[in-house]
Amino acid sequence: MVWQREDKFAYETFLKKHNIIFVFCIFLFICLSIRLFYLQIINGNRYRRISEQQRLHNTYEHAPRGIIYSADNVALVENKFNYTALFYHLEREQTSLTDSIKELNKILGRDIRPAQVCRYSGVVKLSDNLTTEEMFKIQEKKLNLKGIKVVKEVHRVYYYPEALSHITGYTGEIRIEELLDNEYKIGDYVGRGGIEQFYDKYLKGQDGGWQVEVNAKGHHVKAFKYVPPKIGASVYSTVDLKLQTAAYNALQNSDTGRGAVVVLDTRTGAVKALVSCPGFDTNTAGTKDFSKYLKDKKLPLFNRTLQALYPPGSIFKVVTLTAALELLNIDYRQTVRCTGSFELGDRRYSCWYKPGHDVLNLISATAQSCNIYFYQLGLKVGVKNLEKYAKKFYFGQKTGIDLPNEKRGFIPSPQWKKLKMKMSWLQGDTVIFSIGQGALCTTPLQMAYMMSAVANKGICCKPYIVNRIEDFNGNEIYKHKIKFGEQINLSDRTWKVMHKALVEVVENGTGKRIKIPAVKIAGKTGTAQNPQGEGHAWFISYAPADNPEIAMAVIVENGGGGGLNAVPIGRKIYEAYFNIEPENKKQK
Amino acid sequence: MIKEKLLFQRIISNIDGGLIFAVAVLLFISFITIYSAGVNYRTSFRYISVQSIALGIGFIAFIILTSFNYQYYKHLYKFIYVLSVGLLISVLIFGSVKRGTRGWFDFGFISFQPVEIAKVMFILVLASILDKKEKEIRKISFLIPVFLTLAGHSLLIMMQPDFSSTLSYFPVTLALLFIAGVEPFYLFCIIVSCFLAVGIPLAETFFNMQTQFLQSGTCITNFMPSFKNGLTGIYIIASVLLFIMACWRFLWRLRIRIPVIYPVILCISILLGCAAAVPVEKSLKDYQRKRLLVFLNPKFDPRGSGYNIIQSKIAIGSGKLTGKGFRKGTQTQLGFLPEQHTDFIFSVIGEEGGWITAQLTLLFYCFFIWRSLVIAREARDRYGSFIATGLAAMFTFYAVINIGMVMGMMPVTGMPLLLLSYGGSSVFSSLCAVGILCSVNIRRYIYY
Repeated sequence: MVWQREDKFAYETFLKKHNIIFVFCIFLFICLSIRLFYLQIINGNRYRRISEQQRLHNTYEHAPRGIIYSADNVALVENKFNYTALFYHLEREQTSLTDSIKELNKILGRDIRPAQVCRYSGVVKLSDNLTTEEMFKIQEKKLNLKGIKVVKEVHRVYYYPEALSHITGYTGEIRIEELLDNEYKIGDYVGRGGIEQFYDKYLKGQDGGWQVEVNAKGHHVKAFKYVPPKIGASVYSTVDLKLQTAAYNALQNSDTGRGAVVVLDTRTGAVKALVSCPGFDTNTAGTKDFSKYLKDKKLPLFNRTLQALYPPGSIFKVVTLTAALELLNIDYRQTVRCTGSFELGDRRYSCWYKPGHDVLNLISATAQSCNIYFYQLGLKVGVKNLEKYAKKFYFGQKTGIDLPNEKRGFIPSPQWKKLKMKMSWLQGDTVIFSIGQGALCTTPLQMAYMMSAVANKGICCKPYIVNRIEDFNGNEIYKHKIKFGEQINLSDRTWKVMHKALVEVVENGTGKRIKIPAVKIAGKTGTAQNPQGEGHAWFISYAPADNPEIAMAVIVENGGGGGLNAVPIGRKIYEAYFNIEPENKKQK
Repeated sequence: MIKEKLLFQRIISNIDGGLIFAVAVLLFISFITIYSAGVNYRTSFRYISVQSIALGIGFIAFIILTSFNYQYYKHLYKFIYVLSVGLLISVLIFGSVKRGTRGWFDFGFISFQPVEIAKVMFILVLASILDKKEKEIRKISFLIPVFLTLAGHSLLIMMQPDFSSTLSYFPVTLALLFIAGVEPFYLFCIIVSCFLAVGIPLAETFFNMQTQFLQSGTCITNFMPSFKNGLTGIYIIASVLLFIMACWRFLWRLRIRIPVIYPVILCISILLGCAAAVPVEKSLKDYQRKRLLVFLNPKFDPRGSGYNIIQSKIAIGSGKLTGKGFRKGTQTQLGFLPEQHTDFIFSVIGEEGGWITAQLTLLFYCFFIWRSLVIAREARDRYGSFIATGLAAMFTFYAVINIGMVMGMMPVTGMPLLLLSYGGSSVFSSLCAVGILCSVNIRRYIYY
């Protein structure tokens, strides 16, 4: 410290500048500290997450899906395992697909070609169905087979592929659009349709797999943990296999081969059978064969029981009848003469039986399904009341069954016609409404539901198909509780007369063909005219009439007369249910 | 014998303990981090042994330089300059090429980079020039010999070519000129012209990258074609020059009398800067420009030039408060972090040691620089002060550029973090610098 004393002025100017430099250095370091704080403390969590993402890699092992059982604990769907050879591109080993395949074919003595390239990961699927022996062969020669890996894959096997296709549904690989809103990941299989879709979250189980650390070159460094996949929960459905197959076979052998059957347990609302014909082979899902169903004009993938909307036709007369009995207090012995046609204004509405039914009372009119009688009833009741009673019987409302994509159906009304068609409601509309034609439409399930309500005298057990779900350890994780819809309050007399009328339909009326000696059945047939062609054949019924157990709705699409075509199908189902030998066999 | 004993006593009694402590701590951190950075690649042993040898040689140099009187350098400056230029020339002739740069003397096991020591020598030379020409320091003509000296070094280094080392000369020179008392306005003009010379080519590259990145026109990208044909640039420069002269005229009217020489010098420096932009544009390679700019938005090129910055930021950020633990940094150990033992060593510290360690390292570095500046203030003569200031400026500049780079605030240049990065030559030269600092320090009272 010499020059400081020698030249004070120079030293002071030096000190000033020195201080500036000092402050500047400190400032720079403070900037660095702030940035460090910002990166590590404020954004630390974000960067930690990114670094974890970079180094951790999950290899998934799909959990086998749960098993679906029928009501009597027969497995409808199960899992089977097979071995699949996959080819991975590994950067470090410089693998080539053609070389590896050549080597593989040499070892196995087969001609394997790359089957399928996975869109997302660049993994090439080589062969689907390796035998266990082949799998061991590959594992032995693993060193020569660069990049080839054998993976155990789970396949869904459906034991009743066609008859139960719409109940079980099928599984398919998840689509990218579906990834957004769920906790699914690429490559997952999800249920499509039926129980597989509706109870997917129970059935799918929990995927397991390895969590692996990868380095910057994408090479696996070490494995952290292995989570074994958890098998999905077993679903116990209420489906009665015997009824289901009987109904499916009967429908398949019908004239058009298209139609639907719904059988409900009236005491609980359990779905005993739910057939939409034609069905499809659920085992082909995901293969090339499946595409033929998409092109099929019979629409096998379309679940007619829930999604198809049909005009109810004459079976709607049940509602008209109820409304008339409740509101008009008519004497059911009072007779009306049917001449085969009915004139309203300048239009003529005819009965389905052209010569006319002659003299009819309420019971016989129902039994013969005389249109003229019901035209008159409908006019007397009025459209407002018809609409009200249709609503009471759950037309135009979802039944709330635990299957996906249920349709609502539709009840026309004067307001609707004014709004949509810009036309006022005419008496003629009421006339055709009263026999279930016009814009009114409904699903077979709704009709079965209505029938079960009629059988129970107004108590409506909501339909369901899954009774309980058990996880892998046998713990019950879901149990269905019987749910009731709003009770239909009608007077006792109405119920009595209606039952009498419906029994009469089977005893002496249009439903004669179903007469089974041992069981008393009540029902109603219908032939719904429709613009697509031949009328749809309807038959709704319940049995035994005095102490109802099951209610049923049968429809044969474009099947013609209900009494001719739908009723025999119903008969076969009842025969299956009550264990009665078919009549024609007896005759033989 | 007696004299030697006295010397030793004086070293012990007068030496700046804080400075030595800071250096020791930084070297300790450096060794631990280098070990951790290399452990997964089985290179730790080599790194540590090379570093230890360099440290040993550096320690000997440190002792020698500490005991050597720094004031001899003032008289030997010509010799030192010739020596440093000789080193730089011989490396161009005999040196071996590493990463595209002919900058190493290869001795088999260990190699030596003369640029590192040449920087320290340059500071000694520049300080003695400034000290000797104290009288004429305010004249503008004084700058000419200074820049000639600088040009001798920087041209030789550019021939290697080692762009980032060349860059490191400028702030040190500016700091020394500033503290020696050169008119700050001249320094400002120099900064302006340097800024223009480098800034114009970089701005062009930046807008090009932006256009590629956005793939849609913005108002800037729409102007780009008109800039390229040159006329617009000339108009802009001319209008800026006119604006400066108009400002000066306006102030003159307001009776703020500024000599006309100032605006003229400013205009000349702007013109010079623009002219210099042309050769700089030619000499800068495309990847260098991208590297210099990519810190503004690493997403321009996440797999190419932006990769280093992105990974380094992730590494530092993911350390959070306490770090992932010694040898447990995933970014480091799995190879996501590039150049982790050399340029990106601070990221390793940040990742494995967390905020606490990284901030402590920063504090120690800051402390070290504060001690060097204190040495500059307390030096016995102007020459000692200049040397100490220059060295402090060098250390600061390296630290700020390097740490700023790894944190994504500064361009990616290949500058090591002195005292922390792996590298024999840089450890050796930093220890030499510390030795010179100590030599200045222990002689602050007595003239020997």
